[in-house]
Amino acid sequence: MLFKNVFRTLKKQKVQLILLGLIITLSSFIFTSMNYGIGGILTPTKQYFEEANQEDFSISMMDYLLEDDVLYMQEQCILSTEVYTLSSLRNIDKPCYDKMIAFRLDTILKEYPNINIELREHKDLFYNVDGTSHKVRFLKETSNINTSYFVEGVAPSNGAEIAVSEIYAKLNNLVIGDTIDFNGKNYQISGYVLFPDYSLVILSSDLIFDNRAQTLALVSDDEFEALNATVGVEIAGDLFNMSKSDFESIVLDNYRDNTNLPFITNIVLTENNMRSGAIYGEIEGGQAMSLGISIMIASIAILIVRIMVSKVLHSQRGPIGILKSMGYKNSEITVPYIFFIMIMSFPMLVFGYFLGYIAAEPFKNMYLLIYLLPSTAIEQTVTTFITAVIVPFTFIVVVSYFIIKKILSQKPVELLNPQVSASANWLTKIVGKYLKKLKITSKLQHLLLYRNIVKFFVFLIGMFYAAFLILLSFSMIGVFDRMIVDYYENTNHNYIGYCDYVSSCTPLEGTQEGVIELPSVIMNDEEIYLVGLSPDSVIHPIYDKRGRVITSELEDGIIITKSLSLVKGFGVGDDVIIGVGDQEISFKIVAIAEEYSGEKAYINITTLSQTLTNTDNYYNTVYSETALNEVDFFIVVSTIDIVKQTQSMQQMINIAVGLLIVVSIVIGAVIIYILTVLTIEDNFYNISLFKVMGYNNKEIDKMILGGYLVYGISIFLITMPLAYFTFEYLQVFFAQYYNVLMPFEFKLWHGAMALVIYVVLFYAGAFSAKRHLNNISLQEAMKMYQV
Amino acid sequence: MGIKLENVTKIYTTGEVETYAVKNINLQVDNGQFIVLLGPSGSGKSTLLNVVSGLDNPTSGMIQIDDDLVSAMDSKQLTKFRRDNLGFIFQQYNLLQTLSVKENVEVGREVSTNPFTVEEVLSQVGLTPQTDKYPYQLSGGEQQRVSIARAVVKNPKIMFCDEPTGALDEETAKEVLGVLQKLNQTYQTTVVLITHNPSIGAMADRIIKLNSGEVIEDIINKNKVDAKEISWG
Repeated sequence: MLFKNVFRTLKKQKVQLILLGLIITLSSFIFTSMNYGIGGILTPTKQYFEEANQEDFSISMMDYLLEDDVLYMQEQCILSTEVYTLSSLRNIDKPCYDKMIAFRLDTILKEYPNINIELREHKDLFYNVDGTSHKVRFLKETSNINTSYFVEGVAPSNGAEIAVSEIYAKLNNLVIGDTIDFNGKNYQISGYVLFPDYSLVILSSDLIFDNRAQTLALVSDDEFEALNATVGVEIAGDLFNMSKSDFESIVLDNYRDNTNLPFITNIVLTENNMRSGAIYGEIEGGQAMSLGISIMIASIAILIVRIMVSKVLHSQRGPIGILKSMGYKNSEITVPYIFFIMIMSFPMLVFGYFLGYIAAEPFKNMYLLIYLLPSTAIEQTVTTFITAVIVPFTFIVVVSYFIIKKILSQKPVELLNPQVSASANWLTKIVGKYLKKLKITSKLQHLLLYRNIVKFFVFLIGMFYAAFLILLSFSMIGVFDRMIVDYYENTNHNYIGYCDYVSSCTPLEGTQEGVIELPSVIMNDEEIYLVGLSPDSVIHPIYDKRGRVITSELEDGIIITKSLSLVKGFGVGDDVIIGVGDQEISFKIVAIAEEYSGEKAYINITTLSQTLTNTDNYYNTVYSETALNEVDFFIVVSTIDIVKQTQSMQQMINIAVGLLIVVSIVIGAVIIYILTVLTIEDNFYNISLFKVMGYNNKEIDKMILGGYLVYGISIFLITMPLAYFTFEYLQVFFAQYYNVLMPFEFKLWHGAMALVIYVVLFYAGAFSAKRHLNNISLQEAMKMYQV
Repeated sequence: MGIKLENVTKIYTTGEVETYAVKNINLQVDNGQFIVLLGPSGSGKSTLLNVVSGLDNPTSGMIQIDDDLVSAMDSKQLTKFRRDNLGFIFQQYNLLQTLSVKENVEVGREVSTNPFTVEEVLSQVGLTPQTDKYPYQLSGGEQQRVSIARAVVKNPKIMFCDEPTGALDEETAKEVLGVLQKLNQTYQTTVVLITHNPSIGAMADRIIKLNSGEVIEDIINKNKVDAKEISWG
């Protein structure tokens, strides 16, 4: 009979219970899906990084040959032409190039004998697939560090075979054994390969990691040598006999001041390297986020359980008092309540767990769309089940037990008497003092909310969470557009032709403009990308933050991109020294371009040309509006393809944004729904009394529920600057930790739009409560009640 | 003119069963009178109070208060009417626990166009020293006096009191009734008080006895006594 009574009492709260179940399910779901999803990648990834000996650090070095290099080269090689760069030397005299590389590696090892290093060479090539340009980075097989890892298939055994990334093959409907037509040459896919120094395929300063149009590839060594492309070199490092802390203090803190190592432009630890180390941050962040989000949602659920159990039990004071007076023991009265709480929460948690388990596979695959990592089939673990189900379940039951125990500790006679004089809590007393000057109806808005501190707390957390997620979603809109698309859309060059390094560029035609592009130039000890541009350039205007064209300011100094400014900390007015070849020239930074297209500095092309060649009209790159003849250039890049790739990445971001907004709305609306309905029930008699006194529904609504809107909006307004500073921090974090700029944007219209969504979710959530309020009859005020 | 009832009937229907809670009542109450509606449980006195005060609609009949035809009003008009003209006191005090005594009274004052001051009313009910206290710091009688002050501060033309002393002991009940009597005399407010305690009739101008939804006796009390002098039954 007791079970029947409790069941019927709870049945009256079915909508709240269903929504509470939804929150409980969500908490278990998020944890399980993310935990299993990440786990399915984490375990094989650790093994893979170990087997393939992932680099511990990476060294970038100058392509330019410095004074010591030239002296060594003159000793060791006989060259017929003048050579300025390693890459051109490699094409002209490979044995000499090998000697130069060995010279640099030896120089490093002399300085730091406790590390292991190995050359890492790559060549980038483009090929056309159905009108879209695909970029392929061919990596030369190494012997010790960053060795290739085969997910499936085998390494290429001859010049007609190629191994590519599995996701690239999948996204382009290719399988092992298929043939790729590579600008006329056919390669047969021999396997799916991974390289531990590229868990993210970032192949340029543009932050594009679109695996549909980019892949890493492995060919035989002979085939690699035969590829007609400029080689890119880096040095992969293994800490070997050195601890990480020693490496940081001995190498990282000092290499820039080491005069024996002028050719080193940068040394980055793997964990700080976007292409190889972002996955560490992502996995750690993902795990922390999954646990954090589910703990927060579970806490909200537990607090709501506490509110609801407390409310149900208080409404049952009389019956409980009678049962106690009849001689029922506390345990006999407790059992049905605990039983129903258990049979409601446990299936919800288990349901969430299994939903999460099912969602883990697609979640894992989402990761694998971006990251190049091995994965295993997802297997259930006891630990995850305990964390996702048993732990929150225990909390819910224990919390409920203590609430019931507290109420049952009262004597039967106390329970049978109405609990009219529920005192005002400390919060209402304190706040009441500060609200003295308000109209009483306005004051009530606040005080009725403070009356139940737990409820108020749940409301604050829930609303903050919803507001933050909505604002975060908005700030992510157009993040890739700002990084890349805006840049290309603001300029008029649709094609970039890189001239052959041995022969000179073809003469310019029509509206084409010649520019000088120099990667890996050192500016005040920082590696930058230097672009020599005409101050009168029409094809590549430079814009400032206000949208004004500032290209002409190149007459007075250099202009740097916003990325360079934020990542390296340069500002307008700074005097900088740029090293070009073996010359160092001093410049003033005169402006910052509103560009996130990489760490670039623009310089007057005439000045740069004179520095490099003692002539006024040297250029190594051609910017063109119309298509360039590929025969005339070493590589032709279409900016239209870059924009297309960026747009497809932005689409992925937009889906994530949409999901985030939906999740925030659901969580926010459910919390508002439960709390406002509970508030109406708590104030049932007050509402009836107000009606009797002549207050109309609108006035009562404002008094009873108005506080939620007032505080909801206040929370939103507080969240806005917090969110703004968080996004600013994230920008700096990405910039300083990974050298990558994620231009989160926070505009006024974002705030306004987010506020509209937020208010809509509030009204949607409170809709039912308002209906309850309107239905409360006037006669209720005349009945005996318990508070 | 006061309150006028003509053939007022209220029927409650449960399934196929019709119950006459109030049957064909005709009454006229003058302004400023202190009326006691007396009757046992189920006699229809609360129902009568509900329909007269516009808390509920009669099934048939006409209710007029001064020039206003209450029985013909819709929900919005009734709200406005209660707001401008009526005050209510119930057996339970229904005080807002988060508000002080003064603030609870202000809740009543807020809706009135011609209210008394809170201080004046609290003084009338003898609660000036308790102004800043919270309900839980007051005795039952004091809490009921706060609810009276909350009703009176509106300056209502009529006060409806449903068993206002039902939860109080004799001494406290007499105090509360004394307050109502004083207010009736001071402000000439019409008071309609429901009780099942016949002794309270002694302080009324008129006693209307109800049974089974009908008026069985309508007595003009010519020997009205002070609330303090009521001999409790």
